[in-house]
Formats: sequence, C-alpha cells, structure tokens
Amino acid sequence: MRIYLDHNAGAPLRPEVRASIARFCEADEASNPAAVHRSGQRARRALGQAREQVAHFIGAAAREVVFSSGGTESNNLAIRGVAGAHPARHRIVTSAIEHSSILAPLEYLAGYGFEVVRLAPDRDGRITPAAVAAALDDDTALVTIGHANAEVGTIQDVAAMAEPIARAGALFHIDAAQAAGRIPIRVGDLRCDLLTISGHKLGAPAGIGALYVRAGVALAPAMLGGPQEAAMRAGTPNLLGAIAFGVAAEAAAAHLPGESARITMLAARLLERLGASIPDLRLNGPKIVPMTDTTTDSTIDRIGNTLNLTFPGVLGESMLIALDLEGVEVSMGSACAAGAVEPSHVLLAMGLTRDEARSSLRLSLGWSTTADEIERAAEIIARVWRRVRAAEPLNPVVSASTAALAEASR
Amino acid sequence: MTARVLVAMSGGVDSSVAAAILRERGYDVVGVAMRLAPEGSTPAVSRRRGMCCSHEDFEDARRVAERMDFPFYVVDLRAEFGARVIDNFVSEYLNGRTPNPCVMCNREIKFDRLRERAAALGADYVATGHYARIERDPRGRFHLLRAADATKDQSYFLFTLGQLELSRTLFPLGAMTKAEVRARARQLGLANADKPESQEICFVPDGDYARFVERAATPGRLRPGSIVDIKGRALASHDGVHRFTVGQRRGLGLSAQAPLYVREIRARSGEVVVGPREGLASAGLLARDITFVDPESVGTGAIAVEARIRYRHPALPATLALESGGRARVTFASGGGPAVTPGQACVFYRGEEVVGGGFIERAL
Repeated sequence: MRIYLDHNAGAPLRPEVRASIARFCEADEASNPAAVHRSGQRARRALGQAREQVAHFIGAAAREVVFSSGGTESNNLAIRGVAGAHPARHRIVTSAIEHSSILAPLEYLAGYGFEVVRLAPDRDGRITPAAVAAALDDDTALVTIGHANAEVGTIQDVAAMAEPIARAGALFHIDAAQAAGRIPIRVGDLRCDLLTISGHKLGAPAGIGALYVRAGVALAPAMLGGPQEAAMRAGTPNLLGAIAFGVAAEAAAAHLPGESARITMLAARLLERLGASIPDLRLNGPKIVPMTDTTTDSTIDRIGNTLNLTFPGVLGESMLIALDLEGVEVSMGSACAAGAVEPSHVLLAMGLTRDEARSSLRLSLGWSTTADEIERAAEIIARVWRRVRAAEPLNPVVSASTAALAEASR
Repeated sequence: MTARVLVAMSGGVDSSVAAAILRERGYDVVGVAMRLAPEGSTPAVSRRRGMCCSHEDFEDARRVAERMDFPFYVVDLRAEFGARVIDNFVSEYLNGRTPNPCVMCNREIKFDRLRERAAALGADYVATGHYARIERDPRGRFHLLRAADATKDQSYFLFTLGQLELSRTLFPLGAMTKAEVRARARQLGLANADKPESQEICFVPDGDYARFVERAATPGRLRPGSIVDIKGRALASHDGVHRFTVGQRRGLGLSAQAPLYVREIRARSGEVVVGPREGLASAGLLARDITFVDPESVGTGAIAVEARIRYRHPALPATLALESGGRARVTFASGGGPAVTPGQACVFYRGEEVVGGGFIERAL
C-alpha cells in the first residue's frame, strides 16, 4: 500500500465527496445553471447550495463567493482584477515565499509599470505585520500574502496586517489555499477584501476553487463573456466541481477540530521518530507543538500537517525518487517544465543555502493519513536515507564552464 | 526478488527499446532522463528548438514509460556534467586538442555518477541503449565486446568501463541491429520508433563547437595566433586554436596550390601548423590515462592489439608498450598510420573484444 504524504499538493477525494459525485452522475443533472428551463433551474439551485456551503466555510455571504477553476485562477483574478480596476495605484506588496500563481502575475504586472515589493521572511518563513505596514504608501493598490505557506507551513499573522492596509486605502488579498481546512478561516476576523481557497486541497477534485470578494470590492474580470459569477468570471460554471467543493468544505469544517489535532500529533510523531534515527535532521519553519488544537489556539504559528525537512548528506531528488520506489509519496520544491525538481524558492528566501534546499523534502499529512502509515513511513524514510547517503556521497561541484555559460547567456 | 535496473533514457528509439526489452524480461525497470546541459549552454535564439535534454525528448521517454508501465523520473545532473564533462571539453579545445565528450560522459556520468544514483535508488544495474555487448566468462570476469551490428557498434565510447562498471551494466541492444530495434519499437507501439538519430554532441545541438567553446571559456583563455607552414612562415592569423583539429582541411581560409591540412596545434604559442597531405600520417602515438577492461588479462611488455584512433576509423594492427604514469606508446604495424588527432580516444581491441584504451596525447 502506498503512503501518500503530499496533501499540500492535493488531497485524495474525501468519502463524502466521492458520494456526492456518484449522486451527481446517477441523477444525470449536468445542465447549464444559466438556462431558463427547469433543468437549468435545478442546476442553478445546486450551484447556489454549493456556494452557500463554501461561503459558510469561510464566514462569508454566498454572493461574495466567485467560483473559479482553482487556486491559481483565484490568485490571478485577485491580482489582475485589482490592477485592472484600480489603475490609479501602482504598488503591490507581497512576500518572497508566495506561490507561483502569485509571483508570476506580479512579475507580469511589473512589466507594465507596477512596483512590486517582495518582503523577505525570517528564518522560519515569517513575514511580520510591521514589515507589511512599513511597505505601504498611498500608491499601494494591493497587499497579497499567503495565510499558511505551502512548503514549510508557517502561518502568517494576517489579521494583524489588515488595519494598516485598510488605512492606507489598499486592498488586502489572502491566499488561504493551504490554510483552509487546517485552521478555521473567518473572513470577518481576518478583515481581508479578497481570499483564495482551492477545492483539491480540501478533498474535492482539482479544477474548482473560489475567490472571496468582499461585497463592494470592484475587480476587473479575469475572463470575458457571459454574466456568470457576478460578471467577474464568465463561462458556464463547473457545476460538478462546485458541488464537490461545497461538500468538501462542509466535511472539512465538520472534521476540523478533531482532525487537525490528530494530524498534528501524527506529524509530531513522524518528526520524533525520524529525528531519533537521522542525526542532524532539521525541521524548516516554526517548531511543531503536538498538543495544540488549531481550532482554539490562536497563538499557533504553523499548520501542523507540514514537515519540511533537511536531510543531512543526501540529495532531496534521490530521496524523493527512492521513497517513491518504496511507496512513500512526498515532494520537493517545484517541478520545472522538463519534470526535474528545482530547489524551493521558499527555502532559499528563508536563508537556506542552495545545497540545504536541495537536501530538503516536504512531507504533508492530511485527512487520509493513519497512525499505521506514519509508523511505516518513519521506518522506510530512515532506511532509505541511510542507503542514499551511503551510496551517493555529496561532493561539492564547481564548474568553470557552467559559470561562464550562465554569464554569456545573460 | 526481481533485479531493479535504472535505464538511462534519452527519448530516442534505442534507449526506449532497451527499457522495453528489460521490462519484458521481467526486470523492475526504473526509467530516468538526465538533465545534463547547463543553463545557457545554447544561445537564446536556438534554445526553443529541440535541444539536448529538451522537454520534447523527455516527453518521448515519458510516453514510453507510460506505455510500458514502469516509473520514470527526470534527474538533474547538470552540475556534475558541467564539472566533469564540459569543463574538460572546453579545456581540451583551448589546449589545441579535439576531445570526445561522449567517452567522458560515459566514464564520468552514465557509468559512474548514474551508477551511484542507481545504488541510492536500490537498483542493481544501470542500462543504456548502447550498441555493445557484455559477457561474463566462467571465471567471473567481464568482457566488453563490439556490437553485433558493426555499423552501429559503440564499444569505442565505452572503453573506460572496468570490471566494477561492467558487472553493474546491461546493454540490451548489443545483439540487435538498428533495423531490428526500430522494428521492435514499432511492434511495441512506441511513438518514437522512427525518430531520427541525433548526430551532434548533445550540448552543442547546432554543431558549432567553436562558438560553444567561446561562450563557455573563462575570459582570457582563448588562444588566437598564426597559421604557419611547416617551415614556420606565417600564412594568416586566426581567432583561437580551439577552431582547429589536427587533420582538418576545410575552413582554413587559405589559398594554396595543393590542399593544406592542419598538422599540429601549438596551444602555448597559438601556432597552427599546416602542410600538405604527405607527412600527415604517423608511425604511432603516445596515449595517456590508459585503462584496461580487465587489468588481470593484460601481460607486461609489448602487447599486440588493433588500435582505433577515431570512432569512424577501422582498428589498425599495432603494438602497445606501457610506459610510466599511465601512458602507452602505440606503434602501427604498417608503418605510416592515419592522421592522429590529439584528444581523441585510442581504443585497443583484440578482434571483437575491447581490451582498453586511453586518450591521444600526440603523434609519434
């Protein structure tokens, strides 16, 4: 049996979601919610119910939820939507550890004259509210910060960032794709204007997500066409995806109190066992505290499911492949177009060296993770680490031609 | 337990069929494509087209893995390839020699670095789509033999492999012809069955080695100078010794009654000596970094071998005399051998078998 420890990349479908998809297929009700006829009306009702469920999950009103194709589209809509609707302001504040679906649109806008401020995190991946406040000016259109970091799990104190942002007259977007389902999210408490969530991180299929758009906030549409999704996202909605998303959100909320504590315990157990068998193993990001209940403790600074670990003396790439061959599925940094893994930009921004980043893996647990899997994974990972370290010693590599070629192609 | 084998896959038909055959034979096949060319090794204009380790080639390999149902990964060995293959390639050219990076890549990457990686991944063997054969004799010694398909034989590039490497290597195509390999690929339904072969060195896809060396050389290392005749008279100036190969005739930019050939490259002074065809042939050569496939099988004193001094050359009868410092003196039996190009591999055969080889230092 394979052990899936890559929930941050996407969770397996929750049983409730599977059942909802099966019901949808049985009923054969895939109609267009915009159609006037009765089938269209039934579809519209189902879409409305899904929107209610998602809205409820984040403490928003249903009309404030815009369905999208996922976290990436939501982030694009937020950033390009604000830039398009508020042309008088030219500054956007973010951090260096955001997801590529934040950094790439900002890079694009920088090419059109926007000034993009990328705040550096501390060694644990924290962006301080003071740093955000200091980066604001009256030309700032938007601040976009990830709630929980996908690679190391650090939770940002986003609630404390909100007030100065509002005072500066800027809009506040939170990418909560990784936080949702792991800590409670109430848009009212966070006082944000825009918030991204993603279906497949919650146990719905990939291809559905949402952007919370606070009532009264104007966004330029990301997709032009029909008047769907309050004219912010034209196109016939992904009804099956939305239904599954709604069910996943409801299930995640229902399970959150017990599940979050259970998963944090399992992660702490895994870390403890690995630490005992791998000398100098290092956890990146804030310390993990096994007994915290993320639903009640507001002082926690990390999601409990994510273990980003630097394994001494080995390449993460080798560990990743060797573990996969042993049935343990983890991840590392991000994949390039060719499918090779690149060291994580988040770890580099946190001050790890390239070599340290290359030796780091992300293990992320979730609703499907069991205690038995964690015990087996701990054994396999320690065994694989010993084998890789013995078979493939890490030697420093210096290449004059590589440096010259990089210089020549600049 | 089934033996696990790491198959180096380029996306071409040979390595694809090699992987497929091993899968059919019941091995636990793990496919890997190696990212080798460093960032910026191809100029920006040509980078989009099908380059070394390009996205398209990896996708071809990936499709084969999907079709044959084995795991496939892309591994990043750019740093090692830069340090252990390209650095050598560049410095050889700058020193007036003509390197063979495929030999170095086999020695340093495929059968060393990748063998380490194989062990890290719990694999017992590395396999490639090379056309060469490995045989194990009753005493347990390994022999490296020419491929059954003489027109495709790649044993020349593999002479650095020793007993350790051969004991951990599989060449599933060694007994097949290229036509059989393509037929097999079609039979297996592999999409790359008719993919054309790559002709150039993988990290210089446009074939312009001189330009590559100029980009990859550290500043100030290029050696411009004069083209001189055998009497030392300057005929023209040139932009760098890396632009020349011993034995080269074309592209010298000289007009003379009889064709002129590069006879010698003096990297230190920047002199490129040219002369008529007569006198280009040499009686022998001095080679360095001599290795033997099975050192135990090699006696002392003069050894009769057939020496191949270039990939597309026939092996010529020669006598091998070992000298100190890993060097050997190779004397051609027929007296005047062909033009000897420093930097190229000189591989020693006995009939079908590769005995060993080295790198040509100079003609004798």
